[in-house]
Amino acid sequence: MFEWSQEQQMVRDAVRRFVEAEIAPHVDALEHGDLPPYDIIRKLYATFGMDAVARDRFERQLARARSRRPGGGPGDRPEEAPPEKEGAGDGGAAAMTLIPIVELCRFCPGIVTAMGVSVGLAAGTIMKRGTPAQMERWGLDLLTFDKIGAWAITEPGSGSDALGGMLATARRDGEEYVLNGNKTFITNGPYADTIVFYAKLDDGSDTPVRDRQVLTFLLDRGMPGLEQSKPFRKMGLHSSPTGELFLSDVRVGRDRLLGETEEERDGGGRESAKDNFVTERAGVAAMALGVIEACLELSVAYARDRMLWGQPIGDRQLIQLKLAKMEVARLNVQNLVFRHIELSAAGKSLTLAEASAMKLYSAQAASEVAMEAVQLFGGNGYMAEYRVEQLARDAKVFQIYAGTDEIQVTHIAKDLLRR
Amino acid sequence: MNVVVCVKQIPDPAAPPALDPGTHNLVRSGKLILDDSDAYGVEMALQLVDAAGGGEVTLVSMAPNGETSGLRTALAMGAAKAILVSDETLAGSDALGTAKVLAAAIRRAEPDLVIAATESTDGYTGTTPVQVAELLGLPSVTFAKKVEVDGQTVKVERQTEAGYDEVTSPLPAVVTVTAGVVEPRYPSFKGIMAAKSKPVDTLTAADLGLDGSQVGVGGARQEIVSVVEAEARSAGEVVVDEGDAHERVIQFLEQLKIL
Ligand SMILES: Cc1cc2nc3c(=O)[nH]c(=O)nc-3n(C[C@H](O)[C@H](O)[C@H](O)COP(=O)(O)OP(=O)(O)OC[C@H]3O[C@@H](n4cnc5c(N)ncnc54)[C@H](O)[C@@H]3O)c2cc1C
Ligand SMILES: Cc1cc2nc3c(=O)[nH]c(=O)nc-3n(C[C@H](O)[C@H](O)[C@H](O)COP(=O)(O)OP(=O)(O)OC[C@H]3O[C@@H](n4cnc5c(N)ncnc54)[C@H](O)[C@@H]3O)c2cc1C
Repeated sequence: MFEWSQEQQMVRDAVRRFVEAEIAPHVDALEHGDLPPYDIIRKLYATFGMDAVARDRFERQLARARSRRPGGGPGDRPEEAPPEKEGAGDGGAAAMTLIPIVELCRFCPGIVTAMGVSVGLAAGTIMKRGTPAQMERWGLDLLTFDKIGAWAITEPGSGSDALGGMLATARRDGEEYVLNGNKTFITNGPYADTIVFYAKLDDGSDTPVRDRQVLTFLLDRGMPGLEQSKPFRKMGLHSSPTGELFLSDVRVGRDRLLGETEEERDGGGRESAKDNFVTERAGVAAMALGVIEACLELSVAYARDRMLWGQPIGDRQLIQLKLAKMEVARLNVQNLVFRHIELSAAGKSLTLAEASAMKLYSAQAASEVAMEAVQLFGGNGYMAEYRVEQLARDAKVFQIYAGTDEIQVTHIAKDLLRR
Repeated sequence: MNVVVCVKQIPDPAAPPALDPGTHNLVRSGKLILDDSDAYGVEMALQLVDAAGGGEVTLVSMAPNGETSGLRTALAMGAAKAILVSDETLAGSDALGTAKVLAAAIRRAEPDLVIAATESTDGYTGTTPVQVAELLGLPSVTFAKKVEVDGQTVKVERQTEAGYDEVTSPLPAVVTVTAGVVEPRYPSFKGIMAAKSKPVDTLTAADLGLDGSQVGVGGARQEIVSVVEAEARSAGEVVVDEGDAHERVIQFLEQLKIL
């Protein structure tokens, strides 16, 4: 794959038209926190029939899960399904997910974060490790975006070390659990209807906290003892509400324990958190591509138009160097995204180290390109009106969430040194 | 009810247009896209078929180089199939030549209703659809801002300078629609995927019983003799409001005989 196929281009053009007509005019309201992103996301889903596609896919996944374990009693959980082979011809499901991400990020990476966390992380986790009953109860509404999901692992005392340093607890109490703890930096936290919540099992034994089993629970908005904060003020990504969760003695039954068992299949809660790493990191690369494309286009236009000493600034080699580096970044990130799409279409997946390398490079490239775009625009670059200012603030987060740059480095190096 | 929509595939209006220095024709060698004007017709047709509770929408297009990009867009919106006429012989066709081709292709589809745009975005003579109607011996209603089908008649609100006329015509008929008759839908992802496998029947002029003396350069009765640069816009007059601006604007408009 070296370019988008004809169908993929049609998808791209249609989404681009939608973004320019339906989202671009609202970016100010979204960015100033006056307008939560959810209604716009629902409109996007309805317009392109993404909800219908999600529903069809859900039915297939559910049928597969059921056929594997008829009866569906506690402990029931679908086996790792062999990856669906998509065939490159139909564009592949990966491309259909990533193209809207690229297009949205040309204007508003925040929307993608809010959407991706709900559909990719929250629903993704439930569909991968939930029982059929849990898929039906929580998964479907998240996949269609009828409901908003959050995925809560980070705590004030542990981000990069989220699994080891986690302090949130699930204390056994008869057939139930009592949950306590605080989560922070939680995307959609303030508005979530469904929360995928990670906590350490407290079974009364003296296992050091660091080594205790991680369990995953499914919570609903408004449960007694659950408090969802207001959105934080942030450096950027204002279109994605981020907040805190406070749990004090939240009582849940086994029906809310993901997989309805403590038994650690495929590594349990710790692995569950890691399931998402590859998809999430590929998603960030697609987001980076959108930001880079937008910054490059805006910069080329500005370099042509902005006249100084009677010449367009594009005539200056220092400006040309910036444009050339942006183009190099665009080509590289696009190739990485294409590679991921090709692999998925062939039923394969990036290794964790490859996904980390992809994310590390793309996140840094987007940040650098966007900052250089600000520089190229001079004073105008510092003004909100010219858009690169927002994109630069937004791109910075790519180096922090979904694993910081430094954490990606450790994942890549660990893999290299193990060989 | 079966509806034919004429859809023109044109060079992307966002890209700078070019004229062939020899023939003065618009250069159409690059990728062509669905004329936005025709997206309204496609949407109108889809809604009418939906309202009728059955039937399908067939697209008819004449375009160089077997171009289907624009057709795929309309198929993705929901049209069932397309007839494309593409043939070297057709190069240099004028509006009447185009109408002959479209009429012959439409005849094959035996539609209850033919929809076209009022005028295309690139050529915008606004003459093709009425010529098609004449060639097919059908009534034509132009400038539709609202279209309803009621059994064997079509009811149209026809845009006029003063407001609109209510026109009723027996079917089959040719109706040209204005932008704003309906809001064109975005193609769904499923629609885009399905468009790939919808039938596009590609025909030559000869397939339609037409030859080089009727269509193409040979059949053209119009010739573009010369092309001149449009006059640069003059600076205009700035009216600074010193309390009497409204009077001066009225004066100015009276001078132009607009008032
Ligand atoms: C906008 C936004 C949205 C988010 N959404 C969610 C969400 O929905 N759900 C969720 O659970 N979390 C979310 N997060 C949290 C995010 O995943 C964490 O912020 C991130 O993992 C970093 O953790 P930390 O903030 O605790 O930083 P720390 O882990 O405290 O890191 C501090 C610094 O130390 C560096 N560092 C850490 N470990 C090492 C090491 N081994 N070697 C070298 N350097 C190291 C880090 O790279 C960083 O530079 C979000 C964060 C943001 C900013
Ligand atoms: C002298 C001359 C030479 C030309 N030479 C060429 C040439 O070499 N190559 C070339 O490609 N074109 C050529 N054209 C243009 C081509 O023939 C036009 O399609 C035709 O003239 C229609 O004109 P228009 O765009 O003004 O249509 P209008 O009458 O403004 O169109 C109204 C509506 O009719 C329908 N319609 C019009 N044309 C088509 C079409 N082709 N297919 C489907 N629906 C249609 C659409 O719904 C359109 O919105 C030439 C035109 C002239 C006058």
